[in-house]
Amino acid sequence: MNESKLNRRDFLKLSAIGAAVIGGLKVIQYASASEAEAGLHQLAMVIDQGKCTGCGYCTLACRAHNDVPPDISWNEVSPAGQVGEKPVFIARPCMQCAKAPCVEVCPVQASTYRPDGIVMMDYDRCIGCRYCEVACPYSARSFNWETFDGPNPAVPEWGEPEVPRRPRGVVEKCCFCYHRIDRGLSLGMRPGIDPKATPACVNVCPTGARIFGDINDPESTVSQILRKRPSLRLREDLATFPRVYYLPPVTEA
Amino acid sequence: MKLLHKSNWNIAWLVWMGALSLLIVAGLYAALLVFSKGLVVTNLSDRVPWGLWITIDLSSIAVSAGAFSLCAAVYLLGLKRFQPVARTATFIGLIGYTMALFSLLLDIGRPDRFWHAIVFWNKHSLLWEVTMCVTLYLAVLVFECMPIFARFEWLNRRFPALTAKMDGFHRFAPILAVVGLGLSMLHQSSLGAIYGVLKARPYWFRPDISVLFIISAVAAGMSLTVFASMLASRLTKKVNIDDSLLERLTFFIGWILVVYLYFRFWDALTMTYTYEPGRTEGLNLLTQGTLSFNFWIGEILLGLVVPILLLLNKKTRAIPFWRMLALALVVGGLVAYRWDTNLSGLLIVLSYLPGDLAVAYTNYHPSLIEIVSGMGILAFGFLAFSLGVRYLEVVNHQKAMDHAQEKLITEPAATD
Repeated sequence: MNESKLNRRDFLKLSAIGAAVIGGLKVIQYASASEAEAGLHQLAMVIDQGKCTGCGYCTLACRAHNDVPPDISWNEVSPAGQVGEKPVFIARPCMQCAKAPCVEVCPVQASTYRPDGIVMMDYDRCIGCRYCEVACPYSARSFNWETFDGPNPAVPEWGEPEVPRRPRGVVEKCCFCYHRIDRGLSLGMRPGIDPKATPACVNVCPTGARIFGDINDPESTVSQILRKRPSLRLREDLATFPRVYYLPPVTEA
Repeated sequence: MKLLHKSNWNIAWLVWMGALSLLIVAGLYAALLVFSKGLVVTNLSDRVPWGLWITIDLSSIAVSAGAFSLCAAVYLLGLKRFQPVARTATFIGLIGYTMALFSLLLDIGRPDRFWHAIVFWNKHSLLWEVTMCVTLYLAVLVFECMPIFARFEWLNRRFPALTAKMDGFHRFAPILAVVGLGLSMLHQSSLGAIYGVLKARPYWFRPDISVLFIISAVAAGMSLTVFASMLASRLTKKVNIDDSLLERLTFFIGWILVVYLYFRFWDALTMTYTYEPGRTEGLNLLTQGTLSFNFWIGEILLGLVVPILLLLNKKTRAIPFWRMLALALVVGGLVAYRWDTNLSGLLIVLSYLPGDLAVAYTNYHPSLIEIVSGMGILAFGFLAFSLGVRYLEVVNHQKAMDHAQEKLITEPAATD
């Protein structure tokens, strides 16, 4: 009788301790998760369609800096009708969606969110099932159907490769030149201001149609432009919340 | 039933085995090309990343559904008399899932990383869930098939203690049936949901595909089991079938098809009401476009209407020819449905331009290498089933298997 009472008390004690531990862990998890979600920087890209001339320099610079094979474009420029007499183009990097279909569907977590909002690809983990390609509304992903072992025609004219080539059989995409951003930040530079901390496509654009920066910083160029001018994001109806904003072309007055 | 003369039968068996082996060797060669050169040898593209192999994968998993549905019927609903049929279905299930595994190994870009899904969990991904369920269910099927492999005479003679142990797994059949039912209900429908959850593909983005996938899988899985049993019984004396059992089952299949047609009708009808970019084009592709023959003739007429009439009509159901024809048509209709579902979503290219509803069509025809390797996978399935019929008595309704197996446990050396 006595023994069983003790047991019950012990049981209650243990349960209380257990609940406290679980609760505490949850609180810690919550805190760290919200910190990760907010992030110090929230990177975004603004593309001014009024300034884009469709020269395709961005595609080439991207190919060189990221060592992308000639048959793949991480950053595709295509015609998008015209305004008045002027032809309009649309440049499409990866949208780095805040609710990215590719991240949700990947069976092995090869696609993940970074705290600064970049949708990362783990090329060592990807199994090449191509579900992300099927899920992406922007066709921003490309599969390596064959080994890319020849010279890169975009090198050295458009830059030098800064990341390793992806192996055959994995899906690849634009990651906002995260390696430039990370290296730049570690040297105390600011993405969007210092070219060495900014994506290659932004630096190369001859008309300055691309602006890059931190939308967490109200003084950054991207924040100011997005406050000033009307902008849109692609397929907003799908609620993927892209981090690439477009400034629609305006008719010349 | 007319059976071939013994010597003729042996020759026919050798020719059959030889033909299948040739197809398998050709398939292996094609697979080697795929592994050495990469998926560039296929006609798949970034527009249509899934094609023939995915159809083989989806279809072979679907036609394996007889295993879980019949095991559930026998061990959970207590329909004990169907036990011998469930045995055949379980064996077909093991073959089907192995075929699915082969086609997936071909299809993924990095087959060396096939195990990643088991280690790196993305619990949010339906493909992850399907991979886990298929892996676990494959293990269940291996255990369920242990008593079947214990029937292998050579093994029985050499290692009677081992076969007795293998046979002992029969005791776990009810538990395995429960686990198998749960895993199958999950992944058979999730295979449809893999398509159904994709917002970016309006033709797929609806809840019905998962429901249609599981109902069609149950119908076709049972159909293949009954068809294979009947076909085997017409070709070899190694087979004993109880026709009244199979007749009951086919009647039931007829009604499942009616349910399937009902869901299919409402699913399609709701898509016709308003214009929705991408979705309407997907439906048009099926009803008037490149997939229309597959849809109207393969899926609806031959895959549903004709089998329903043949199976629910007592007269035609009683005649083996008409019954077998109807069952084969059900399986064909299922393959057509899987093919059409995959392509009707992928062949539609939706623009991402702001305010632009432009929809374009693309095309896909499998390459020779895809076809040859796919044929190799099918040949493997036929070979495995033929060997099972000959050496493992997978189609045998005559003996009360329960009894025979219990006897085997107590007298390990006993063979008949």
